[in-house]
Amino acid sequence: MAMAEAIARAAALLGAGICMGMGALGPGIGEGFVAGKACEGIARSPENASLITRTMLVGQAVSESTGIYSLVIALLLIFST
Amino acid sequence: MEFTQDYVQLAAFLGAAIAVSVSSIAAGIGEGYIAGEAVKSMTKQPESRDQVFRSMFIGQAVSETGGIFSLVIALLLMFGGFDVAAGGWQKAASLLAAGLAVGMGAVGPVFGAGYAGGQACKSIGRMPKHSNDILGNMLIGQALAQTSSIFALVVSLLLLYTVPNQPIDATVGDMILKSVAILGAGLSIGLGTLGPGTGIGTVAGRACDMMGKFPREKKEILRTMFLGAAVSESTAIYSLVVSFLLLFAF
Amino acid sequence: MKKGSLKRVFLIFFVIEIVLLIISGGLTKDLEIGFEKSKFVVRHVEKHGDLQEKITEEFQPDEYLLETGERGKIHGSERIYDFFAKVFGKAHAISAFMLLRMLLIVNFIIILIAVLTKKLLFDRPSKPQVLFEMMYSFFEEFVQDTLGKNFIHFTPYIFTIFLFIWVCNMIGLVPIPGFMEPTRNLNVPMGIGIICILVVHATSIKVKGIWGHFKNYLNPIENPLFLLDIVGEVSKVVSISFRLFGNVLGGAIIMLVVSSLVKFIMFPVGLNLFFGIFVGTIQAFVFTMLALTYIGVEIGE
Repeated sequence: MAMAEAIARAAALLGAGICMGMGALGPGIGEGFVAGKACEGIARSPENASLITRTMLVGQAVSESTGIYSLVIALLLIFST
Repeated sequence: MEFTQDYVQLAAFLGAAIAVSVSSIAAGIGEGYIAGEAVKSMTKQPESRDQVFRSMFIGQAVSETGGIFSLVIALLLMFGGFDVAAGGWQKAASLLAAGLAVGMGAVGPVFGAGYAGGQACKSIGRMPKHSNDILGNMLIGQALAQTSSIFALVVSLLLLYTVPNQPIDATVGDMILKSVAILGAGLSIGLGTLGPGTGIGTVAGRACDMMGKFPREKKEILRTMFLGAAVSESTAIYSLVVSFLLLFAF
Repeated sequence: MKKGSLKRVFLIFFVIEIVLLIISGGLTKDLEIGFEKSKFVVRHVEKHGDLQEKITEEFQPDEYLLETGERGKIHGSERIYDFFAKVFGKAHAISAFMLLRMLLIVNFIIILIAVLTKKLLFDRPSKPQVLFEMMYSFFEEFVQDTLGKNFIHFTPYIFTIFLFIWVCNMIGLVPIPGFMEPTRNLNVPMGIGIICILVVHATSIKVKGIWGHFKNYLNPIENPLFLLDIVGEVSKVVSISFRLFGNVLGGAIIMLVVSSLVKFIMFPVGLNLFFGIFVGTIQAFVFTMLALTYIGVEIGE
């Protein structure tokens, strides 16, 4: 393998690792925040439990989309170079 | 070659130092938070002193788990008896990455578990009658938060034990590729557990707080906490998948 | 338990087993970590089909070695091994063989549970009947809360998944050499995860109709990010199965490393209590709850 190609591929692999690692930071904290607030809401008004749970899951799915973007980019970096 | 021996040993020691020092920063802050909240609630409600003290003790012990994982890896790195003579750059990268993974991977979960423990102490001080419920909730929440540090530990142990020595006829390009992929695997899981660990800790902390205020809805709160924590963990799992790919696909 | 549920439970088992068997031959790479003959073994099955052992010399296993293509000692029937070797190739034969053996044991335990709770008495219930009726009604309540009264017939499915994963996680506690959790093999959680997501989509099609279900995925005007929704469905399978796999594998590795550090003198009881019973139960429960909630989100309108 040529040296330049090897360095480029190595950079892509390192980039994939850092991409997924950093990309997991935001969604993790955000989803935790959503779920914490949902716990509060359910404790305050348990009669709306199913509505709150569904809203929580939808909100978490939306905030997780940036994590999925990171995953897609990381997989592209791993497999397409 | 003596030079080779030197840098593999150097990587092992560096990894051990990073693992213990980074994780102990987090452990100090997290456990300090628990102790602070416990002291605060003891001052406010001196009659619930015993329950608060017990929950502080247990909470700190569980938060410590991430730090203990790092200590185990550091001891293995220092006294594990790796093949330093024939290891090569690949082995050096894997030893450094093992330290990085478990050290950075412990930060988020320990913060999270610390927050959960602190909130639990606060609400036990307020409601000493329901201390068993709150304590159980705190334990489950902290265990959920620590699962991401278990992922980091798994990757780190795999880095220690499954990365083979560098082949003698490896070209410089192969060497760079393999070593950097291994470093990327360690960085991916190490950074990736930071967010989910803190997030799950937030969930558990809010759940403990609310359980102290509304103890009648404890079943609903527990269920929501389970679900929210499980979904928050998924990004840590993506990181685990990426680091498995980086470890084994090359 | 209702009258028809037992039959349904067996049917679900049958489907799970078949999917698992198909998948376990299909994945090209396996990572196996086990505790065989009081030795720590890490096996990494490569693409080209050789079983390679990569581990420090202290833990070298002397059996099951396939370096030269010869097979080592395997307890049990050799004819089954030959069959697997013919169907899946030599590298997969051992892992598929051991997985099948463990799954058969799990099946046996669950059939035993079914036999124990078969004789239902109203006025004088036996102890196992009380225990499992309690568990069943616990899950029935969850199903009713999440899906509503109309979908209460999902309870046997949900309870089967929980029981299967739970017995799989608990079986690692039995201190017999060669006993390992089937969930430690990636094929098992992956198979159950695929079944769960398929059930979600089938239920959604049944409730909303075919166009009502695929509207989300095939309508680029209303939903410009529809491709990401498809990625999200795949990532559901990945996250639900890797969560279980990672936790069980993590507990197993930690216990093995700790017991190898103390030279297998002391059985790490506290670690077994935490990782075996506590984490195993919690992760089985989380898996079940997620399988249930995915259905609830998809049909809930």
